[in-house]
Amino acid sequence: MHISHVLRRARVRGDRRAIRVVSTLSVHPVALAVAATLAVGLPSVAGAADDLATVKSDVEQLKRDVAQANEWRTVNSNVHLTGYAAVSYSAPEAGDSSFGGTTFNPIFHYLYKDLLLLEAELEIELEDDGATATALEYLTLDLFVNDYLTVIAGKFLSPIGQFRQNLHPAWINKLPSAPLGFGHEGAAPLSDVGLQLRGGVPLGPAKVNYAVYTGNGPKLELNGVGTEIEAVMSEGFGADNNENKVVGARIGVLPVPNLEIGASAATGSTLDDTGATGKRDYDVIGADAALQIAGLDLRAEYVRSEIGAGPVAAVDPGEKQWKTWYGQAAYRIPGTPLEAVARFGKFTPPGANPTEQWAVGVNYVFAANVIAKLAYEANDTEGVEDDDRALAQIAYGF
Amino acid sequence: MNSKQSILHSALLGVSLTLAATTVYAGGSGTAGDFTRGAKAWSDNCARCHNMREPKEFRDDQWRVTVAHMRVRGGLTGQEARDILTFLQSSN
Repeated sequence: MHISHVLRRARVRGDRRAIRVVSTLSVHPVALAVAATLAVGLPSVAGAADDLATVKSDVEQLKRDVAQANEWRTVNSNVHLTGYAAVSYSAPEAGDSSFGGTTFNPIFHYLYKDLLLLEAELEIELEDDGATATALEYLTLDLFVNDYLTVIAGKFLSPIGQFRQNLHPAWINKLPSAPLGFGHEGAAPLSDVGLQLRGGVPLGPAKVNYAVYTGNGPKLELNGVGTEIEAVMSEGFGADNNENKVVGARIGVLPVPNLEIGASAATGSTLDDTGATGKRDYDVIGADAALQIAGLDLRAEYVRSEIGAGPVAAVDPGEKQWKTWYGQAAYRIPGTPLEAVARFGKFTPPGANPTEQWAVGVNYVFAANVIAKLAYEANDTEGVEDDDRALAQIAYGF
Repeated sequence: MNSKQSILHSALLGVSLTLAATTVYAGGSGTAGDFTRGAKAWSDNCARCHNMREPKEFRDDQWRVTVAHMRVRGGLTGQEARDILTFLQSSN
């Protein structure tokens, strides 16, 4: 609108104040420029106000998001689902090759403050006939008493040696199979149900870790016709069938962080479910060592389980002993995702020839927790046809 | 139970009770986690059993539970666990 037109309209209205202002503007170019600038700027001021409101809203939302993200710091309980899974392939020299070893092991962790941890692992496994087997691998309530002691109650992995309690998960085990004698019906105990004390204690530059436990102990298993003790079953039983708890312990010494030397022992009694074997003494001793140096991971374990004589037993009254040991070396080739592994093991069951096993393999480490394994196992038992096989496995620890 | 077993049984029970009494007495309230000590403890302990897991693999709350699990499994002291947790939560 031209300024003369504004002046005319002000005169028509008789608005003296407007007439004065417009007259002044018409004779002062600078004042006119200022007025024009103000007029142009008014819409910008309004936009800025809108922007400010938006920023305020964003900040409030951000505050709510941050508060929500930090809720875990203030809640009493934290939950985490973890575990591992594996799929395997086996090609024996004698027999059919097959995909198998399809396992899924979810582990549930519930932590109440820094006081109590519930740990439970299920083992869900696809069987040869297509059925699915489910087992409770372990379930413990871990009470953190202080920095050096945790009291554990429930079904726990046997603290005898290292393989069972720390190394058996598929994404940790360097080979697709367990060492001889460290699986079911072997020499090394698998699990127990009871009470355990464990922890770590610094000793100057060295360190000691320990586990002491008492539990229901194992059961004896007879062969199919019930004439001979075939195995000591130690899957962790929910009842004690011989009124005698097993007591055991392991102590591990780390003179330097990359070297651990352990010794284990357990003692108690055992019996089969029918009572035919009579109550037998049960003793286990074990030793283990692990060293990590210059890309090498070196391990060795020895376990011996034995049952005493049963002078009045109706079945198989003699002493029996199961022995096993293995040594393993793994080497991560620098600058590559490849890892070479070799293991030798020997398992000696009672009344039978020992089995020796060589296993060599190469792993492709996609990530720390995603590993593809290729291995060849040579199993040699005197008087028995060799049971050699090629193995492949992909394992994922999640 | 023979005498050898009885002695071993008693010895193990004695050791366990002594350990329990000693460690309970020792208390061990400890101090807050320390990043530098945690980096060393992480490096010293985790690879004793398995490949090193990257700090970025889990969120802070997930590491809290995972480290509690590893404290039990790996025989870590409470202080080592707090140090490692601080390191992992600061590095993810």
